Amino acid sequence: MRSNRRIPGRRLFRFPWRTAAQVAADVDEELQLHLDLAAQELVDAGWLPEAARVEAVRRFGDLEGTRKACSALDRSKETQMKWMQMLEALGQDVRFAGRQLAKSPGFTFVIVLTLALAVGASTSIFSVVHGILLKPLPFGQSDRLLWAMALSNGEESTLSYPNFSDWRDASKTVAQAASFHPGSINLSGDSGDPERLIGMYVNAEFFSVLGIKPLAGRWFAPGEDKPGGPAVAVISEVLWERRYGRDPGLIGRSIRLNGTPFTVIGIVHRKEQFFDVAEVWIPLGFTFENLQERNSVYLGAIGRLAPGATLKEARSEAKAIGERLARQYPEANTGYSMDMEPLQTYLVGEVRTQLLVLLGAVLFVLLIACANVANLLLVRATAREGEVAIRSALGARKGRIVRQLLTESIVLAALGGGAGVALAIWMTKALVALAPAQTPRLDEVAVDGPVLLFALGITLVTGLLFGLAPTLQASRPNLTVALKEGARGSRGRASTRARNTLVVAEIALAVMLLAGAGLLLRSFARLQEVPLGFQVENVLKLHVSLPSSRYDDDAKLRAFVDGLVERLKAVPGVRSAGVTVYGLPLTGGVNVWSFTIAGRPPVPQGQEPVMRAGVATPGFFETLGIRVARGRALDARDREGATPVIVINEAAARRYFPNEEALGKRIILSPDNPDGLEIVGILRNFKQNALAQEIEPQMYLPYAQAPMPSLAVVVRTASDPAAVTAPVAAKVHELDPEIPVYAVRTMEEVLALSSAQPKFYMLLLGAFALIALLLAAVGIYGVIGYTVRQRTQEIGIRMALGASRERVLRMVVRQGLTLAALGAVAGLLGALLATRGMQSLLYEVSATDPAIYLTVAVVLVAVAAVASWLPARRAAGTEPLLALRGQGA
Amino acid sequence: MSKSSLDLLHGTVAVLILKALTWGPMHGYDISRTIRQRSEGALGLEDAALYQALHRLEKKGWIDAEWGLSENNRRAKFYRLSDVGRRQLETEMTSWRAYVEAVSKVLETA
Repeated sequence: MRSNRRIPGRRLFRFPWRTAAQVAADVDEELQLHLDLAAQELVDAGWLPEAARVEAVRRFGDLEGTRKACSALDRSKETQMKWMQMLEALGQDVRFAGRQLAKSPGFTFVIVLTLALAVGASTSIFSVVHGILLKPLPFGQSDRLLWAMALSNGEESTLSYPNFSDWRDASKTVAQAASFHPGSINLSGDSGDPERLIGMYVNAEFFSVLGIKPLAGRWFAPGEDKPGGPAVAVISEVLWERRYGRDPGLIGRSIRLNGTPFTVIGIVHRKEQFFDVAEVWIPLGFTFENLQERNSVYLGAIGRLAPGATLKEARSEAKAIGERLARQYPEANTGYSMDMEPLQTYLVGEVRTQLLVLLGAVLFVLLIACANVANLLLVRATAREGEVAIRSALGARKGRIVRQLLTESIVLAALGGGAGVALAIWMTKALVALAPAQTPRLDEVAVDGPVLLFALGITLVTGLLFGLAPTLQASRPNLTVALKEGARGSRGRASTRARNTLVVAEIALAVMLLAGAGLLLRSFARLQEVPLGFQVENVLKLHVSLPSSRYDDDAKLRAFVDGLVERLKAVPGVRSAGVTVYGLPLTGGVNVWSFTIAGRPPVPQGQEPVMRAGVATPGFFETLGIRVARGRALDARDREGATPVIVINEAAARRYFPNEEALGKRIILSPDNPDGLEIVGILRNFKQNALAQEIEPQMYLPYAQAPMPSLAVVVRTASDPAAVTAPVAAKVHELDPEIPVYAVRTMEEVLALSSAQPKFYMLLLGAFALIALLLAAVGIYGVIGYTVRQRTQEIGIRMALGASRERVLRMVVRQGLTLAALGAVAGLLGALLATRGMQSLLYEVSATDPAIYLTVAVVLVAVAAVASWLPARRAAGTEPLLALRGQGA
Repeated sequence: MSKSSLDLLHGTVAVLILKALTWGPMHGYDISRTIRQRSEGALGLEDAALYQALHRLEKKGWIDAEWGLSENNRRAKFYRLSDVGRRQLETEMTSWRAYVEAVSKVLETA
């Protein structure tokens, strides 16, 4: 008797699947046999045949019900078996694939590593793109939120309050609008140290436009934002947690902001912040007293589209309203117009281009990896032709073989993808940690559901992509040839062409990446060569802001600054010290004043020239090493009550005094002082903002003649400037223990931060380009190496017939270089097209810079030469006799 | 009939089938006859219930089925105990004995 034990896999050879009708027929047959045997038993006991049959049916019970129940059970059993068989077949394929791959661990390792790198890099870049560009903003119906901007002679700018409220009242496409202005706010008074917070002055509708709910408490009530309104504040969850330990009793309590008590009324959820570094929001009425002036433009504005309105309608309406405001208030609104864009687009800003370039680059790397793996598999498929031919000859169906080979590819892809996702989690963390701090929405970046889906998608697609070519080739083997030639491959031109095409494509993609990276590298180098015009070495900077509640007149401000500079100079190790307001280079924050020049014909109101303006103490220029071109720097003579003076930079002299000497001319800043300020010095140009930006006209007024409360303090030291941080802060607190010292940095750090963003993108793209180059080199090496192995006999014959080593070397290397040249040409053409989108990322480098393209081509050809020389050397070392016997190389 | 006694009945039919099959592979009629003979007809097991139970057990994998030839040379579906079924039978018999013992204890002391 047969064993009851199930043989694993035995089900594969089970009878073919039965249809529902066959299942029912089998049940019928089984039950009929039963009835017949039962009737027979009755006949044997003396029943008449006819009666016996009836009695058998009667004794059986519910015949029809049983028939139905049994058929149903059998059908579901059949389905279940079908699934199990498929799973078993799949399991068998996977196990078989695993065994095949385990047989050549080196091959498997290289492929899995290549894929893991490519999938990992793509996934982590995608996680960044997803978090920053694709994920909706954390606000209610965030796709209806718009950013509103003023256009002043076509240039984007912020809005003045009157222009904002006129637009808001006139607009029909925007249901709700809010304006706001970021600013720093001192928090002091309770148990903690005084600290400097980033705050926002907002109008009452601000939070309801965003469509968010408070974590606790309430938002501002309509009207609370008017000047003279109640002192109420909303704080961030982060501040609530950090300083108040999430004390629910804080709502309704009073805190000191800029020296004034404010009642906390609400908490903003940390995930729902519009401006993610802000920690406190107070009503717009508490900001500048010139809220009613139409030409003081410092407000950002957002709006929510009215139901049914579209972005296009809102834009044309904003344009119309803006132009009307220009006609209505010509003195303040010359060349005025307005425009809108989706809030998300605005927030992401220029990072979009950079991210898309990176995503493109990383997908190139993925494609190159695919091509490489496809090539490796092609080579292997050719080597396995014998095996496949034998299996086909033994009757394996074509579909079965295709499935087997595809399973191998998918198993490889899955291994690579799995490792890639693990790598991506790590790489994404590293990316977020290394990314420049000014990158928007960085905290939204995570390897989450959609990102994992992306990883799964690219893994499957790559598996199919690189699996397809070898599979198609292997599934139609020429049996007789393959079997005859035994283990040695026999593929003719078709597969050689496939491999060559893949390598050429790989090289072309690598060239495109190299060109992109080269352009960024060159641009970055240009940026580093930019002369700063001041010295960053051994300089420390820090900020101090004097609250207007206690420093309410110029004399107090002057006394503080004089006292501070004196005290700082006395700190051991400090060589010089100075103070500026709006004047520290590379730290952002622009203050622009309009002016007129004494003695020139009057300019219509609203069309006066403008210039960056700062105030500084004499020590500021000395400390930063800003040099004087003509005249003098500001010095101790420029006290309160002395002749009002000013210094300007060369850019200002050139722009506003093109054909005359600026020294001695007078600049009028306000009608209150019609005599103006005498220009006593021209400063050498120095970089004010980001390195890539043009130097702009700039003026400095003496601090003593124009005191202001937000101080930037600089000190030059004999050695490490960071070492004097504590004594410098101590001096500030000697003068006033209640004011915070913040944003302490060496100027070298400030400089590094200002180029952090271009550096970051350059390094990333450079890394991708290197990976691409490496992969392309491996591709060339693989193909040439394989060809050399295939041609061992031929090479042996050539050498036996007298071909020299050099001749063989040249022959093989030439083959590699031909591929490289083809790829390079295709790649350079592609790069010409693809790098066009990069122009906005480049500083003083053309996207079609011929030097870069030439360098890339040379590098590529050199790498290709090395990659084909290695196998060529092996070919040239062939022993003719061994080669002829087929054992060489 | 309450639900629990119906379950008991289902279970009982299963155990009877499994037990019958320990004597070797059988087709449905043989199983029916064997159970009838051994119980001397006392159980009154309906064939309809028997066949439904057979197909249910086959789906569960407790018994395997294979087509073969009956004594009178007709195509017949033969059932055979599977490994799972054999183990299941042991469990069922243990708990059946415990049940019978408990019930009889109660009945005898009454």
